[in-house]
Amino acid sequence: MPIKKKGTGLTAVADAWQLADIDVSASYPIRPYTAVMAELAKRIANGTMQCEMVHGEGEHAQFSIAHGASMAGARATTGSSGVGVTYAFETYSPIAGSRCPIQALVGDRTLDPPGDFGSEHTDCLTLRDNGWIFGWAQDAQESLDNSLMYFRIGEDPDIMLPQIVAMDGYFVTHIAQDYIMPDQDQVDKFLPKFNPKFRLDVKNPVIMGPQIEPEMGPPLEWDRHVVMTKVKEKIVEVTEEFGKVFGRKYAPFVEEYLTEDADMVFVLQGAHAVTCRSAIKYLREAGFKIGLCRLRWFRPFPDTALAQILTKFKVAGVIDTGTSYGAPCSGGVLSTEVKAAMSEVAGKPIIQSFTSGLGGETITHEEFFAMAEMMKQTLQAGKIIQGGTWVNFNDYHEGASQINAAKHEAAPSK
Amino acid sequence: MAVAELVKSIAHTTDLRDTYVPGHRTCAGCGPALAYRLVAKAAGENTIFIGPTGCMYVANTSYACGPWAVPWTHAQITNGGAVASGIAEAFRMMIKKGKIQDKFPNVIVMAGDGGCSDIGLQAMSAMFYRGHKVLCVMYDNESYANTGIQVSPSTPYGATTMFTPAGPAIPEAKKHQMKDPMPIFLAGGHPYLKYGATASIGYPIDLMNKIRRGLAEDGPAFVHLHSPCPKGWSFPPERTIEIAKLAVETGMWNLYEVENGDWAHKKFSVMPKKLKPVDEYLQTQARFCHLQPEHVAKIQNFVNNRAKALGMEVPLPPAQ
Repeated sequence: MPIKKKGTGLTAVADAWQLADIDVSASYPIRPYTAVMAELAKRIANGTMQCEMVHGEGEHAQFSIAHGASMAGARATTGSSGVGVTYAFETYSPIAGSRCPIQALVGDRTLDPPGDFGSEHTDCLTLRDNGWIFGWAQDAQESLDNSLMYFRIGEDPDIMLPQIVAMDGYFVTHIAQDYIMPDQDQVDKFLPKFNPKFRLDVKNPVIMGPQIEPEMGPPLEWDRHVVMTKVKEKIVEVTEEFGKVFGRKYAPFVEEYLTEDADMVFVLQGAHAVTCRSAIKYLREAGFKIGLCRLRWFRPFPDTALAQILTKFKVAGVIDTGTSYGAPCSGGVLSTEVKAAMSEVAGKPIIQSFTSGLGGETITHEEFFAMAEMMKQTLQAGKIIQGGTWVNFNDYHEGASQINAAKHEAAPSK
Repeated sequence: MAVAELVKSIAHTTDLRDTYVPGHRTCAGCGPALAYRLVAKAAGENTIFIGPTGCMYVANTSYACGPWAVPWTHAQITNGGAVASGIAEAFRMMIKKGKIQDKFPNVIVMAGDGGCSDIGLQAMSAMFYRGHKVLCVMYDNESYANTGIQVSPSTPYGATTMFTPAGPAIPEAKKHQMKDPMPIFLAGGHPYLKYGATASIGYPIDLMNKIRRGLAEDGPAFVHLHSPCPKGWSFPPERTIEIAKLAVETGMWNLYEVENGDWAHKKFSVMPKKLKPVDEYLQTQARFCHLQPEHVAKIQNFVNNRAKALGMEVPLPPAQ
């Protein structure tokens, strides 16, 4: 029987890993992801789980240990946060390139400086070009469910790619919430045993990761490129099957909230969606026809889904909870990608970039209201008034003053 | 600990199957290639190799093929120890759970001096500390050789490399004495690392038996394997073995074993009656040809001190 539990995104993923019968997990402490490893350690000590926990001497080792375990044919996991994620950087491409479907949990944390524990998506987004598949969960339940879906997708013989179950530090990793731990039989029905076609096996020797000639590399890269298209198909298939087995239905790529009659939408990913939804209720009362589109995947990027969905609206306000200094249009990574995905779509909305929630701050109702206000001004003006808005820094008040300035400029007498 | 079945003679080795086979493009007279062949021969067929980046990765696996009849995987130059740890624990756990029917394999990391004692030191130390059943063989050609011979911590004082040329301002070329991984790993700081040995391709039977003793351990083991490099050290390829032996005869290399983690009572497998002057060794290699007498004296002094520190009770050449 599925069990009703109260816990965090981290205990929820520990539940998923227990149910998935992982063989090896590699740990190293860094807040806020750490508690998943503490939870595993407890379960291993109690005999609830049979898994070898290898204490890496750093994140680079953690990912390398999991990589080795996966090559040997084990289901292996690891995880990190913030500068831990970037410390392991060398390992990401070799793991994905050798098609080892390990799973990592990233509990977001700001990159140093200034040594803030708060959540920002920048850590995880830095590895977006390395061939891992990942997306953000908004709560504990979705973290658990994503973990199971990611194993299923990543270990599919047609895919074989590593995955990151990303979640906002603290909002998801540390706030206790109600969730349901599925039944082992359900999981066994949904998630087959990991059985890679090739592993390190003395009875069937293989050479993994040899040096190659320059012209031998691009076909492998093409293969990694093409497989991402297959991942998109697999996501649709697996998300639907997940709903059938576990009774929880997710939109495969983009969750919509109050979008039916909306002319403006917030676009974001992760836990800030929870506050966003409640802010939208107030905005609706105030007469804003506004909704939310929450991305469930970042790699592969859900461009086809967005092309279908975002064309329904006039203004899309993309909220980045992270930084990419010097990025196009002064936006962050998410807004840049959304703009790129929509660039050739006919009837696309005006896409406005916001940066908010940095340093692990909650994006407050007031800040959502401010963004909605600015989006409204954009809607009325029919064009971007101010690109790349950092909420609370160069915020909508300045945008409003620019409208005023423009108005004065347009006036016949100064 | 299982008892190692020892190799008695070269004649005995013809019964052993080679699993490091032709089909690579190492240099003529390559010491590390011979090292690989002997290690693989000693280890046998139930073996998995992990090859961190180094010349034995680049020269062996070019063109997407490799000269192994056993499983081999690349690791980054940084993480041979960590990847091997993951492999060993995966096998242990999967066998324990009954997920696979494999016999636990010999897991061997063949790391160069850079991949073991420099950029790869952290991962290797952690692997020894955690006690995984992995043999680390540090095949030491005293440089970063696959990138064209650059200085490593193993490069002897006074050797030229691309990063340590000799010139009027730095007449001795490399300024630092070498780092010694044996005491780093085996002088007591890694409690589960019980077996360690230095070996040389100039002494193949001794080398193969050290590999077998290492593999017979229940936990980790370390073999530091001296592997002369004709290209990097600038000597004719037919002199590889001669130079390997000369290193031992001059004390530039010492052959000993540490058993049961007992660093204080190391066992010398080859003890020259007396050490020849280092100059005899230095003169065989063009990487030392710029050295002045005061530099040679410095090397002699270093070698004499190391011999004394290791407890070699043999007559030493004067350090003048």
